[in-house]
Parts: sequence; C-alpha cells; structure tokens
Amino acid sequence: MLAYILRRLVWMVPSLVAVSFLAFFLIQLPPGDYVTTYVATLAASNEIVDQRTAQELRERFGLEQPFIVQYWKWITGILLRGDFGLSFEWQQPVSGLIWERMGLTLLLTSSTLAMTWAIALPIGVLSAVRQYSLLDYLFTFIAFLGLAIPGFLLALVLMYVAVVHFGQEVGGLFSEAYQTAPWSFDKFLDLLAHLWVPVVILAVNGTAGLVRVMRANMLDELHRPYVTTARAKGLSEIRLLIKYPVRLAINPLISTIGWMLPQLISGATIVAVVMSLPIAGPLLLQALLSQDMYLAGAFLLLMCTLTLVGMLLSDILLALVDPRIRYD
Amino acid sequence: MKEEGVGRRALLQGAAGVALAMPAGMALAQAAAKEAPDVAAAVQQGRLPPLEQRVGSAPMVVTPNEPNGRYGGTLRRGLRGGSDHNGILRLIGNQGLTRWNMEFTDVLPCVAQRWEVSADSKEFTFHLRPGMRWSDGAPFTADDILFAINDCILNTELYRSPPSMWVIDGQPVKCEKLSDTAVKFTFAGPYGLFLQQMATPLGQHPTLFAKHYCGRFHPKYNAELAATLRQANVSDWAQLFRQRCGDIEIPSRWGNAEKPTLDPWVVEEPYQGGATRVTMRRNPFFWQVDNTGRQLPYIDRLNFQVYQDVESLMLDVIGGRLDLQERHVDVLANKPVVAQNMQRGNYRMFDTINAGSTSMTIYPNLTHKDPKIREMLGNKEFRQALSLGINRAEIVDIVYLGQSEPWQIGPRPTHPWYHEKLSRQFTEHNTREANRILDRIGYNRRDSQRFRLRPDGQRVFFAIDVITALYPDNNDALELIKRHWAEIGIDVKINTIDRSLYYTRGDNNDHDIAVWPGPGGLEPMLDPRDFFAMHTQGTRYAVPWAMWYASGGRDGQEPPEHQKERMRLYDQARSTADTRRQGELMKRVFDICAEQFECIGVNLAPNLFGVAQNRLRGVPASMPYSWSWPHPGPSLPQQFFFTS
Repeated sequence: MLAYILRRLVWMVPSLVAVSFLAFFLIQLPPGDYVTTYVATLAASNEIVDQRTAQELRERFGLEQPFIVQYWKWITGILLRGDFGLSFEWQQPVSGLIWERMGLTLLLTSSTLAMTWAIALPIGVLSAVRQYSLLDYLFTFIAFLGLAIPGFLLALVLMYVAVVHFGQEVGGLFSEAYQTAPWSFDKFLDLLAHLWVPVVILAVNGTAGLVRVMRANMLDELHRPYVTTARAKGLSEIRLLIKYPVRLAINPLISTIGWMLPQLISGATIVAVVMSLPIAGPLLLQALLSQDMYLAGAFLLLMCTLTLVGMLLSDILLALVDPRIRYD
Repeated sequence: MKEEGVGRRALLQGAAGVALAMPAGMALAQAAAKEAPDVAAAVQQGRLPPLEQRVGSAPMVVTPNEPNGRYGGTLRRGLRGGSDHNGILRLIGNQGLTRWNMEFTDVLPCVAQRWEVSADSKEFTFHLRPGMRWSDGAPFTADDILFAINDCILNTELYRSPPSMWVIDGQPVKCEKLSDTAVKFTFAGPYGLFLQQMATPLGQHPTLFAKHYCGRFHPKYNAELAATLRQANVSDWAQLFRQRCGDIEIPSRWGNAEKPTLDPWVVEEPYQGGATRVTMRRNPFFWQVDNTGRQLPYIDRLNFQVYQDVESLMLDVIGGRLDLQERHVDVLANKPVVAQNMQRGNYRMFDTINAGSTSMTIYPNLTHKDPKIREMLGNKEFRQALSLGINRAEIVDIVYLGQSEPWQIGPRPTHPWYHEKLSRQFTEHNTREANRILDRIGYNRRDSQRFRLRPDGQRVFFAIDVITALYPDNNDALELIKRHWAEIGIDVKINTIDRSLYYTRGDNNDHDIAVWPGPGGLEPMLDPRDFFAMHTQGTRYAVPWAMWYASGGRDGQEPPEHQKERMRLYDQARSTADTRRQGELMKRVFDICAEQFECIGVNLAPNLFGVAQNRLRGVPASMPYSWSWPHPGPSLPQQFFFTS
C-alpha cells in the first residue's frame, strides 16, 4: 500500500509540470494580453488610457517576451522561491489574494456538499426501495426540476422577489455591520443567516444527479441474493438496507471525490457572481476575463493539484473499501 | 479674485461662529457650525488644529446647489468587481489644478486659485492656495508639484516615457518653482489645451503625489530604499512606488489608506483584490468651503459596495439601496424599469447629457489591405449610398425607444460649433437614390440572391466588427442595418467578437468595417477621432494614417493631402488658448470632414440618466456624461448632503 502511494506521488510530478505548462498556455491563448483587456475595460466606460502608458505597462509586465520565457520565469519563481508572482490588476502578491478567500470558499462549498448528500442520499434510497411509487415520482420530478433550472437564474429570481416584494437584502455573506468586523459569535450567526440561501440554491442544483446515481446503484443491489438471504434470516428492513446495499451503492460516489476537490474552488462561480459572494470563483473568473496571467495561472495550478490529490485520495479510499482491488 | 475675497471674509465670520456656538445648545450649534460635529469634537480634544489652520487662508469657495447643507450621513454607491477604480475616481478623484464648469465649456480655479498664460501659450504659471494641506495635515506646496512632475512622471525608471499630455513637439515639460505657492510649466511649443487637460482625469498628475509620503519610496529621497524593498518583497522601486502611491488609473490608487490625498474623502477600507466593499471618510483638511464658510464635504462617509454582477447592482438600485448611481446601470434599456420603481425605491432620476456625438459610428476601412475592398470603401459615392440605405428612423424607434434622431457625426445641436452639413447630410432614407448611385459607379450586376457583384465578379460583402458584450445597442442597430443594406444589394456579416480581438484586429488593420460609439459631441477638441485620422485605436477608418500622425510621420502610411490639412488645422487649434480662434479653425476641419465623408454616423447619442435617493440633495438635475468631464465628479459631490 505504501509503495503504491509513493509510486503515485512520484507520477504526480510530471503530470503537474505538463498541466502547469498547459494552464499557462491556455491563459495566453486568447488574442491580446492583460494590457489590451485593461484598455478595453476602460474604453467600455468611455475612459481612455494614454497610448504611451499602455505600451509602458506592457514592457513593465514583461508581456512582450516570448511565451516560453514568461513561463520559465513564472514556474521557477514558484519552485525556487514559492513566489506565485504579482497580480497585474491588483499589484498584490497572488498567494495573498488566493488565501484571503479560501476560508469562506471552503465553508460554502463543503456545506453545500454536505447539504447535497444529506438530501440526495435518503431520497435516492427511498425512491429505489419504493420504486415507481407516488413518492418516487414526486421526488424524481422535483429533482429534475432542480437540475433543469440553472442556479444563477434561481438566484436572480430569488433576489428579485426578495428586493421588490419584501424589501429584503439577499446576496453577500455578511450584513453591512459585520462585513469587516473581527470574528465573533454574532458575526458567525450573521454568516449562517446569509449562508443558507446560496447553499440551498447550489444544493438544489446538485441533488438531482446524485439522486439518480444513488437510485440506480440501489436498484442494482436490492435484488441480489445476499439481500434476500439477510431478509430471510430476519434482519430488520432498515438495518438491512443501511448495512449492506447502501454501503455498496455508495461506492461510485467515493470515486468521484477526485473531481469534487477542484469543484471546491471553481464550483458555484456563477451563483457567487450573481449573489456577490466573497469566494474564490468570481476572483478566478475575473482573473481569466482580464487576462491577469499569474493570478489565473496560480488558480488553475491549484485546481490541477487538487484534482491529482483528489484522484489519489479516491483511489486509496476505494482500495480500503473494496478488498478486491490490487495495488499493481 | 472676487470669489476668493468673499471666501476669506465668510471664513473669518465662520471661525467666530464656532467659538460662539460651542457652549450653546446642539440645535444652534448644528445650524451655525462651520465644520462637522466629529471634526469639531476632535478640535476640542486637540487632535486636530482649528478650522482656519486646516483650510488655509484662501480655500476654494463652492456655492452649493441647495442652501443649508447638513453635515452627516453615508453615501452608498456600487462598484463592479475588480478594475472599477475609475468608479471611485469619477466621484472624488478629480482635484486637479483646474476644474470644469458645469456646462463643460470652460475651466475654473481648483487647486490653483489663479494662473497666467504667456501670449504664445507656452508658459503657464499657477498660483496655489496658501496654507492648503494634504489629508494628513502636511502642507501642500509647490514642492509637491515639482516632485510629481520632475521626480515622478519625468523619471524614466518610473515612467519609461512621460504621459503624452506632458510632451509637446517631442519635448517634455519643464517645471520650475517660483515660490512656495507658485509653479511655472514651460512647453517647447504652444499648448492651447493645457488648462482644459488639467481638468480632465488624465491631467491629475501634479496633485497626485505627496512629496513627504511618496518620497519615502523614491531613491532620490530615501537612501535606505533597498531595505524597504526587501521588506516589502518587491524587486524594483517603481513597483513599490505604484503599490503605495498608485497612479491615475490603477486600482492601487485606492488601495492604500495611509497615502495622503487632496480628495474630499480619504480611503478607510481600501480597494484591494478580494475586497467586498470600499469605505472612505471625510478628509478633515479638505481645502474647500461653502459660501457661508462651512467646510466641505457635508457627507461624513462613502460606502462603495463591490458587486460582481451588474444585474445585482441594478437590483439594489431599484430597491433604493444606493444613494447615487449612474455607472454601469445607465443604459437606455434599464430606463423603464428604473422609472417604474422610482416611488418604491424612494429615488429620483437625473439626466446625463451624452457628450458623445453618435450612438454608433460606422468606420469603413479606407486603408484596407485588400486593394479591391479599399477601392470600393474608398469611394465617397459608395459610402454615400451606404448612408442613404440606412433607415435611421426605424433604428431610433426600435433600438433607442424614440429618444434620438438621425445624425452623422460632429458637435451636438446645443454646442456652439454645431455643423449642419457634417451632422445632417445623407441621413434621409432613400433606397432609390442609393441604388442609382451603386448602379452608376459600377456595381450594377447582381447574383442569384440579388446581391451586387464587384467588377471582378465577387459579391459585395463586408464583415462588420462589433463587441456585443460592450454595446448591445450597436448590435441591435446592426441587425437592422444588415436588412436595410440587403435592400440595396449589399451583403454584410455582423462579426460579434470579444473586445481584445476587436482591438487586435484594429491594431493589425484587419477589419473591413468596425463600429464604435462616436465621441466629440460636447468635447470636439479633446476627442476629434471622427473628424480626422488622429487616434490609433479609435480612428478605425484609417488606423495607418492615425499612426502616421501620432508618430510624427515615422510609422504608418502617409495620409492624403486633405487629411494632412486637417491635422495642421487641428494642431493650430490645439496650440491656441483662444476659444474663438479654436472654433474658426475647427470649422474648417469640419468643412473638409463633411466634404470627405469618411465615416457614417447613425443617430444622435441619446441622453442617459442617473439615480439619486430623495434624501440626497444638491445633485444637479442634469450634467454632462463624459470621461473628460468625469461625471458626476465635476458637479462637486462634496456639496451633496442628506436631509435628516
């Protein structure tokens, strides 16, 4: 097992190099560069940048150097000095910008994940056990509705109704008073009072898929002989379900942890944009839009690393859960 | 100056008023107070010097739009994500040597209380206000301006080349100190627009950098800079300087709460990556008073919420959660919903007079790389037919809700330089005449789909570059124009592209036709890009000619004589400070421009709007909409106030 993990870790190095190269390449792919976008953004408000200033910015940021030189500077900075570079837009170190938003991002996405699972798993089990019953149809209908309505639209409609009909403020994660206040119990309560809205919106979206997966897996298991045997031996229905088929049916969910980790960063982006949530997604989107290379690059690199780590994690977990898996 | 005399007298009365009012009741104190209650308290506790020491002996006197302004309150406004630093700049950041009047026709004293211009318009002497201070209380003197010009913008490590408004005839400005309150700028050639330029956002450099603070990040004034750099973990001093002191148009200008400024409010919670709001508080050393000698600003604090999405910003506007907002929401399509919710949101709307000329200028590429297309678009009669083929009335009705009129380019009807022919020629919809012209000039053969053919047998076809995300109305108008032009046998493709691709294609001269809202309606001198080839990213009918002009003949392509003539006339107009003479010269530019008819306008840019809470007073009922007059700043938000 240990040798297996080590081997996998060693293999991650070339993957990371390839991925970092690709990420940097993709960011540079759109026409123009940060300065073009900067000029264009200002032009959008009929604001004008001095011609010489634009040229000078380009020189200062080293945007006129060939791609490979820029990449080399970036990657050696990270490897040798742990320096992720400077965000063009903010003139601030990239690492600081990213970490600042990480806490709330993790909180939002992990509570969304918990919420999704908490809703989806029981419903999935229920609709499998009571297949083609009224409840099955009802939950399936609701779940598909959730899948069909885009999260951002739901958010917008909710916000519109709240503002126009109730004069309520939705959006953001804190009220005005607590926005920059130091952490306290009251601030935490305030956070909870705001957090549930985006969590519900996001969970509604993610639930449907999970319900279907769970239902299908359960249906596979429910008619296996071991279930009949257990039932014949007089095990109570609930205990039987939880102990055997559910445990097996959950297996495929574990293997998806690999792509859930990067979701922690990039997920919820559009909803977060609409609701002005101070999490990482909008920052990443903004960095990509403004071609703020180093900031976007650092984000993508982080996400790729998380994907690789997530894959490793799910492989290890699967190996632990399922004794049939061999290590070579 | 008469204005200043009134100010000083009023101020002295004001100081007496404070002394008398203090022991009296609060109501009386509020009515008579010459400064905000929190400032008065700080003065009492000895944390701030008294009013007359803070504002100096010659503060700028502002006559408020509404009398009896009340101190207090927080003004709420919205920013959009990152890169919206100009949202702050527009409200408070224009405290230059001069400022615009409300009509956007002339400049008034601002940081400089008066000035002299030499007869040849080469030397400008500005007299500063004695006793004026930075927001941290340090004196503002001629040395600060010398530092900003000589040590900063002319420093090649900080600015590889100085911003173009400081360079005339290839020579950078010379800046000398005459006394603590007098500075002289000398240019190599006549510079008639200098006073106006000092009132625009890009002319703010002289008053941007406080020597006593920013000098700490400058090698000339800080011998231990290397240690500071190591501590801040940055490689070169220019970078640190920009981080701490900012520049006119970068977010870090508002990212440092320590930096002294001359603005009415100073940064409290800075604008940084990841910020969800920016707050500012009153500058207790602000150097302006109202006409009764009470120190401005009236409003205590500003609160800018950072929105990621314009729709949620819009929601807060109609919900009445913003006190003053025009930026990002003032598109015509929003007007009905904003008007509809006026009562519920408890706000009113004000007009912003579009400084632009036309909603959309169509720039046929007269310097196209393909000689066949160049010949076609280069033919004035061809362009005339294109213009006659547009049904402008329909566009005005459908896209602009009837709030506009057919128009080419040029100064707006209300502007003294309005030019009938330039703005109105060929604006009628006349398909028959357009077809007759096209038949006559050799495009009389048609293919099976009734589209015209060029003499070489190719279909007459163009791609029109437009950035949909930026100006959706342009895209809507183009959809109609595509249909109008199909009626005269011209085939076009609307090439909706991203803005950086739009710029790249323009820079490389790769476009057939491009569109952009045409400026020059109220500020024809400051942005004449549609009148002759002068803007390398804006004059899209002939980018290579504009490059020739901008580079002084080194780059680009040599333009034809009628263009050179206009370039000469404009240079002459630009070098005289006499507005009447400018008008005469520009009329000749407009005459030639109208005759050549290089680009096609569609309709007069409609006026837009802003939203102000009913509690917020002092906001004028209308103001120009422009970048050079960076609305709403020149309407002086420091004299806005809240009723209780």
